[in-house]
Amino acid sequence: MSRETLFALPARVGAGILSVADQVGGMTLLLGQALRRLFPPRVDRYELVRNLHRMGVQSLPIVIATAAFTGAIMVIQAAPLVIRFNARAFIGWGASFVTFREVGPLLIALMFNGRVGANNAAELGTMVVTEQVDGLRALAIDPIGYLVTPRILAMVVMIVALTVLGDGVAVIGSMITGDLLLDVHPRTFIASALPMLGPWDVIVGLIKSAIFGLMIALTSCYFGLSTRGGAPGVGRSVNASVVAAASGIFVADYLSTFVLG
Amino acid sequence: MPIVFENIHKAFGDKVILDGVDFRIDDGECFFIVGASGAGKSVMIKHLIGLLRPDQGEIYLDGEEVSRLSERDLYPVRKKCAMVFQNATLFDSMTCAENVALPLRKHTGRSHGQALEAARERLELVHMQDFADSYPAELGDGMKKRVAIARALTLDPRYVLFDEPTTSLDPVSARRTDALIRSLCDDLGVTSVVVSHDLVSIFSIADRIAMLYKGHLRMLGTPKEFQETDDPVVRQFVRGEAEGPMDV
Repeated sequence: MSRETLFALPARVGAGILSVADQVGGMTLLLGQALRRLFPPRVDRYELVRNLHRMGVQSLPIVIATAAFTGAIMVIQAAPLVIRFNARAFIGWGASFVTFREVGPLLIALMFNGRVGANNAAELGTMVVTEQVDGLRALAIDPIGYLVTPRILAMVVMIVALTVLGDGVAVIGSMITGDLLLDVHPRTFIASALPMLGPWDVIVGLIKSAIFGLMIALTSCYFGLSTRGGAPGVGRSVNASVVAAASGIFVADYLSTFVLG
Repeated sequence: MPIVFENIHKAFGDKVILDGVDFRIDDGECFFIVGASGAGKSVMIKHLIGLLRPDQGEIYLDGEEVSRLSERDLYPVRKKCAMVFQNATLFDSMTCAENVALPLRKHTGRSHGQALEAARERLELVHMQDFADSYPAELGDGMKKRVAIARALTLDPRYVLFDEPTTSLDPVSARRTDALIRSLCDDLGVTSVVVSHDLVSIFSIADRIAMLYKGHLRMLGTPKEFQETDDPVVRQFVRGEAEGPMDV
């Protein structure tokens, strides 16, 4: 076996680790730069409002549809066991608990990543390859304060807002399906959920949601602004951003579940 | 002397683009930087506002050394030295009026509405007022360049850098752009630094010309001196001849 072949695998693994370390370091620096624009606030308010609208308000239909079907599917999947063990009294609590703590934040984050994260990486990537970011710098406008900080704020705020809404819609979806499929009256559904759920169950989900939003914002801004090589480069950035954010969401979910309980 | 380039060196990887270039640009001058594609003309002017940093050498603007300034310290430099990019670089997500209003809103403390109103007036100067509410994607290249010029002029800069302003324009739009650049120098006293290889523009509006070739300053002179030169490389360039000593 030649020397090159012997070292090929460790070299590739090492290069992969260095690449990930480089990306994580880049995102951390970007976060630091973006946060520095908040003290004192140097955020473009017009750009912030524009991003809140297009990232949040325009995501409403997809989030409502996803949440409603997710709530319904949970009850459909649970129905055989609920009937077998005659656990109708627990369906409201079960569906709400899982929605608030896990399924709501996770699914909405994945949808948000696909819609808003990909769009953001593509937009910033296109701005880089068409010299629009240099154009901003030439106009003495700080690209971090103008492009990055408003997007990070908008994504974190809007994903939490969408999760609150999505949680509500998912629970309503579960309630309607429970009524139709299992003959669990909405009042019974609510009565089973309310006494067993605490504010912390909702707060945990919202904290997770904010972490996921930050992760999507950082990856999409970082990969977008790191774009090189014209239109194929934009495609690569979008792909890298969506994959990195989705992977990060699952890792962050795992860790935050341990930490937050 | 308002603009001075001293011994500028720049390489991208192994490729040397500028290898010790020196020249000075006078106040109110319409100064052209010419040369074949890839000669380093755009690289040269991007150094002046800190979009690129030289590997070696100094650049002075109004007596201030600008090549080592931090990004934040470059903002005052960029406010007095605007740049019109080759591809216009209008922001796709904004209308033409919003593009022109952006620097006004960011640097003059005007509200969004006030900045838009002022932007419409600026668009009139480049005869683009009817397209104020159009998006860049709806415009032709010439129209985009006119909007980009209006945007660059919003902060009343003393210096304007034009990167191939007439490339991809039809002849009529190109000559109108030439007239606009010339009028900036003559009427407003703006110093224009124009990167171009459009021979008609060069010989109709330039006060002086610098030709870059293989990383060096090949010739610096007036249009008349360029037309009468004995240098075979410069002569081939100004005559636009396919055959000759020029290595492109």
